[in-house]
Amino acid sequence: MQNRKAKIGLLALLPLLLMAPVAQRLLADQNDRAHKIGDKLKCMCGGCDQSAAKCYHVGGTYSGPCDTAKSMLKEIDAHVAQGKNDEQALQAMITEYGPLAYLEPPKSGFGLVAWLMPILYLLGGTGLVIVIMKRWRKRPAAIAGAAMAAGAGGGQASVNVTPELLARARDLARRETED
Amino acid sequence: MDVFGSFALILAFVCALYAFGGGIAAIVTRHPLLIKSARQSGMATCALIFVSTLSLVYLFFSDNYSVAYVVSHSNRDLSTFFKVAALWSGQEGSLLFWSFLLAIYVFSVLFTYRSKNGELMPYVGVILAGVQLFFLTISNFVASPFKALGVANASGAFDLVARADGNGLNPVLQYPEMVIHPPNLYSGYTGFTIPFAFALAALLARYPGEKWIHLTRKWTMIAWCFQSMGILLGAHWAYAVLGWGGYWGWDPVENASLLPWLTGTAFLHSVMMQEKRGMMKVWNVWLVFVTFMLCILGTLLTRSGVVSSVHAFAQSSIGSWFVGFLCVVAGVCLAAYFKNKDYLKSENQLDSLVSRESSFLFNNLVLLVACVAVLSGTLFPVFSEWFTGSRISVGAPFFNKVNIPLGLLLLFLTGVGPLLAWRKTSTESLLRNFKWPSILGLLAGVTAFMFGVREMFALICFVLCVFVGSTIVQEFFRGAKVVRIRSGASWLASCVDLTLRNTRRYGGYIVHLGMVMIFIGLAGQAFNKEVEKELPIGSTVKIGNYDLLLQSMDQKQEKNYVADRMIVEVLRNDKPVMMLYPERRNFPTNQESGTMVAIYSTLREDLYVVYAGMNPQTNLPTVHAFINPLVKWVWWGGMVVVMGTIVALLPSRAAVVVLAKAASTAGAPELGGMRPAQVALREGHD
Repeated sequence: MQNRKAKIGLLALLPLLLMAPVAQRLLADQNDRAHKIGDKLKCMCGGCDQSAAKCYHVGGTYSGPCDTAKSMLKEIDAHVAQGKNDEQALQAMITEYGPLAYLEPPKSGFGLVAWLMPILYLLGGTGLVIVIMKRWRKRPAAIAGAAMAAGAGGGQASVNVTPELLARARDLARRETED
Repeated sequence: MDVFGSFALILAFVCALYAFGGGIAAIVTRHPLLIKSARQSGMATCALIFVSTLSLVYLFFSDNYSVAYVVSHSNRDLSTFFKVAALWSGQEGSLLFWSFLLAIYVFSVLFTYRSKNGELMPYVGVILAGVQLFFLTISNFVASPFKALGVANASGAFDLVARADGNGLNPVLQYPEMVIHPPNLYSGYTGFTIPFAFALAALLARYPGEKWIHLTRKWTMIAWCFQSMGILLGAHWAYAVLGWGGYWGWDPVENASLLPWLTGTAFLHSVMMQEKRGMMKVWNVWLVFVTFMLCILGTLLTRSGVVSSVHAFAQSSIGSWFVGFLCVVAGVCLAAYFKNKDYLKSENQLDSLVSRESSFLFNNLVLLVACVAVLSGTLFPVFSEWFTGSRISVGAPFFNKVNIPLGLLLLFLTGVGPLLAWRKTSTESLLRNFKWPSILGLLAGVTAFMFGVREMFALICFVLCVFVGSTIVQEFFRGAKVVRIRSGASWLASCVDLTLRNTRRYGGYIVHLGMVMIFIGLAGQAFNKEVEKELPIGSTVKIGNYDLLLQSMDQKQEKNYVADRMIVEVLRNDKPVMMLYPERRNFPTNQESGTMVAIYSTLREDLYVVYAGMNPQTNLPTVHAFINPLVKWVWWGGMVVVMGTIVALLPSRAAVVVLAKAASTAGAPELGGMRPAQVALREGHD
């Protein structure tokens, strides 16, 4: 009789035993996600510039995981457990701690400016290089002086610097400087 | 000795004032005696700065605790080695040290060119004296390192006092790298003053633009080399000491050191355009101006507290002085440029889009975009506070996302640029130069993919590293082959001969090879692993292929600190590999502690073990271990970069001699279709 009870008990436990690795895996995934989200948040301990996933109080008396960072990770865990996606969990944390908690600027509002700036630099710079290259391609070779004399409208210095003067200046520089 | 040092410093200020004012008068009057006296005054300024700096060092060595700066940054138990480092560990001392390094450069320039470049040197002298004057003003009147220690008495006046011992040096600075990293970095910062002074002087003197480039090329390379070494040593210090597992955190102060390096690198490339083709003269002048201004901006960021940084010196009002100086420098540069810009017109046209010229343009574009992106990212928290009232942080993930693609683009250009010919590159030449490197690069990519590399940027980086590395090896191979056929020497001897014949070109290739190695190391970061665990004695923690067994703990008493050590046995696949001793050092003088990381480093990966301390809640030792693949490549790459720069600084052996020797070699084998004319052409290739 007792043997039968034990068997029933084991059978009842079986789904739980089978579930355990799955649950463990889910928990680990959840933990990984919390770390991933934590990597985008600044630890609010005030003693570092590290992320919530990596604050170890470098240089302190105990450089183990920071308590603030650990509690932030727990909070993220809770948000993830509520079924929020990464972005929602991140936003929930930002709502709680303010924009200072961003480790990288948000891609909305004024934070978007930070992301757009490098793209604008690259586009603007590429445009500039293309314009320069076009101008250089159009320019006849070895005519610097003549070009200057022709384009004399650009200020007084342009009027004064003739090809002869430029050649004289170059000659003078050559004589006056030695390697 | 403090009075002596202080007096030398004020005398240095007076001499710099004369070198500046007298120099301007000399330029106006062209009186030979004035010119000479201004130059000699400039040299005297330098000598007095040396005396003043040595006085401060002496105060540290003699444990003179009546000087506030010595009290704040030293103590009796501090080793002699670190007493030298204490000189630049605080605001006042580091500013004097800055003047000291600048004085070495200024003295070298004034002495080397004392009887040369007669018309240009007074301008150079005035500009250098102007820069020195600024730093001496700060050191004398704003942040003096010789200030006596005093306490306020009942009547409000200060009584001079002397302490029995000092507060000690910040523990994180008590590492060998800290003795060499700041001097290197500061030598880079200050070194860029020389090309700046020559560029501005040449513009003011209305020189058409070539000569200052020839005169300052070596100075620029020296400054660039120091800056590179400084940055890498700083990264190594952060890696080996701070214990967070990385070496570059995009901290504002790290960024500040990178900015002039980026523009300096752009300048070293674009300068060739001016030398070879008479192009980009305006660009080069402004690159040098901007590089110098970025050095000053870097100092401003470090010392003003504008941006928060783990490196920053104490917040002070000193920042406004630097802002003022920066404005003056920018004003002078703009005025000089607009007055004399017509002397900087380009002389040649661009013949083809596929040419060395266009590759240099794009190289400069990428470097400058990276520089501006890093700068605006660093200052973005300040901007956001101005515009929105709240600070938005810009951390490492932002900088990585922005700079990794730019870095890869730059790496690609590193491979392509040097193999494109000046003016125009033919399709045959493109095929000949890039066929094998492209095939090898793609093969490397496929192999890495097959071995499980799935990180896109890391994969692209490996492909490009093999591509660029192959182009460089191919260049050495082709050149050495010609030399070998002519001389019959071994491959190695032929490579050495080839390099010595054109040190600039082949030194440049070596620098590029070093950069490739650094990129390989950077790509390794994509595969970092870490584990953190409380570890009772006798237990193990696994990371990668390694098991770390905590055998025991002990304590080591040193003169200035007490170290708590973990004794960790490293096992790989259950076989003992080595012992590691990560430690925490507790400094009783200033009640601070620091880590000493234990690293088992191979070319494949670093096993990086940190003793994080005893967890106060569980009273168990906590270990924090990392596997950081390929990190060693960064340090070795840095050494190769320095080696390449030194080679590029050596004078080239005249190619003509070699060709003449080759022509006289009777019975030399056939050249395999390579005619001497072609050999000569390729030697003039860079």
